[in-house]
Amino acid sequence: MEETFAIKTEGLVKFYGKTQALFGVDLEVEQGEIMGFLGPNGAGKTTTIRCLLDLIRPQEGNVSMFGLDPFKDPVDVRKMVGYLPGELSLETNMKPKAQLKYYAELRGNSIDWNYVRELAKKIHLDLNTPIKTLSKGNKQKIGVVQALMHKPKLLIMDEPTSGLDPLIQQEVYKLLKEARENGATVFFSSHIIGEVEALADRVAIIRGGRIIEEANPSQLKLMTMRQMRIRFKESVDLQALDNIEGVELLHKMNGVEATLQIKGDLDKLIKKLAEFPVSDIEIMRPSLEEIFLKYYKEDQEEAI
Amino acid sequence: MFTEFKHTLRKMKGSLLGWSIGLGLYGLLMAWFYPYMFDSGMDFAEIYGSFPPEMMAFFPSIENIASPVGYLDTYFLSYIPMIIGIFAAGACANMISKDEEAGILDLLLSYPVSRTKMFWGRFMGFIAGLVIVLLVSYLSWVIAPPFSDLGFTLMEFFNMFVPLFALLVLVGGFALLLSMLLPSKRMASSLTSALLIANFLLVGLSNINENLQPLYDVTPFAFFQGAGAIDGINWNWFAGLLGVGLGFTLLSWFLFQRRDIRVSGEGSFRLPDWLRLKRK
Repeated sequence: MEETFAIKTEGLVKFYGKTQALFGVDLEVEQGEIMGFLGPNGAGKTTTIRCLLDLIRPQEGNVSMFGLDPFKDPVDVRKMVGYLPGELSLETNMKPKAQLKYYAELRGNSIDWNYVRELAKKIHLDLNTPIKTLSKGNKQKIGVVQALMHKPKLLIMDEPTSGLDPLIQQEVYKLLKEARENGATVFFSSHIIGEVEALADRVAIIRGGRIIEEANPSQLKLMTMRQMRIRFKESVDLQALDNIEGVELLHKMNGVEATLQIKGDLDKLIKKLAEFPVSDIEIMRPSLEEIFLKYYKEDQEEAI
Repeated sequence: MFTEFKHTLRKMKGSLLGWSIGLGLYGLLMAWFYPYMFDSGMDFAEIYGSFPPEMMAFFPSIENIASPVGYLDTYFLSYIPMIIGIFAAGACANMISKDEEAGILDLLLSYPVSRTKMFWGRFMGFIAGLVIVLLVSYLSWVIAPPFSDLGFTLMEFFNMFVPLFALLVLVGGFALLLSMLLPSKRMASSLTSALLIANFLLVGLSNINENLQPLYDVTPFAFFQGAGAIDGINWNWFAGLLGVGLGFTLLSWFLFQRRDIRVSGEGSFRLPDWLRLKRK
């Protein structure tokens, strides 16, 4: 059977000594999609990514990449993957060109150097400046190029635009979209909500070593709390609205205007509202940033 | 594997150059110095005989210093193995752990190269580096004979380096193993070097305190032939030193296979995480 998932994890559990970092991470990334991986610091993003590449090994659970187990077939898996680590380190006594040639040799010299030059040009990377003299952003560009240069089937990038200026960030977004258009799957972690909104087809949110949400950005907005402001033609008894499951009356004004907070679907509320003389309805959806901050806040509250 | 082999040699080129030049010049100097030393009319046996026995104990061949074998033993094979051993310890402790601590290994292991190939490619790079250093040292001694009077054949000089090679593989293998077990490469190379120096001191101390002899008898230097190899290599000792060295290396490979690669920086003392594995 054709494998539909580029990445599939089941019940990943990872301890660092006595500290548990992952509590059973289940994740599915379909082939050809761009998935954003959001989470606060220490949530388990990097640990999950490093388990995928067999850099660290989970104590429990399974990882499958295009149907292969990275523990049993690490070389076959890595042939298909382009990886950009969150903390990129390079050999400082080399030039970018020599560094990339070394990486190309590790891939069996199957790299198209015209494509490498093209990538370098797009993100303004000088291949002949010694790495030790490069800024963090320029080093990050080397990381981006090495991840993309063999046109991988799967790109795994841990905060890909870290240290890059906004113009180059846009170029990287373009490159990732181009890769997807050419059939690649992209799995990237980020703190930048705008980046996830701009790029991702789907988002997974990890908190405290658990995936707490997995949806596309618009679904995610729907699934969370939103506010509704209703105006009525005449004064009505608003208590009836407050009794609906998932609905909370936040504010009312003379029985002619109400602000509600809603969680879940709107079906019962709409049916109830049909009994009232409604003149206007306004739904306020939270931004992805607000959703993410809400999860952050819950995380911090749990920590306290 | 060949890529890692080449890369290891490329990374070692500075230290290889330094060690080769240093040992090469030392070999040339000592080989050339030999005839002049004994033509000067000084009675070295008498001079050395006046030294305290505690010092003489570290150079057991000093009484025969006027003989070529005694000269080589005293000026080359007594303490030079310890010094080249520090090179071997440093090179092997750095082999994997340096890149891991620098955060480079994280990215390298995302490439389609197995840990086995990476490990053995790098180890073979170290062996090649070691051979280069020893070869330069060997050449420095064999170039000199026309002017000096040591009188050994090329093969006899070569024999002198064979046990040294085995000893250095053992030292390197041990440092590599420690780098897999201890939190940092710095600790692995320091501890290996300290043990190497301790072993050298034990060689001398066991000559003046017979209670230390049983301890000395189980150390690597007890199986190191020194200049005695010129007359014929003790292949059992050679195989023993090399075998233990390769045993340490195999154990290091086993540990590397199961190792959780750190993002960067030094580690800490704790039981390896792979011992907790339930899945595999």
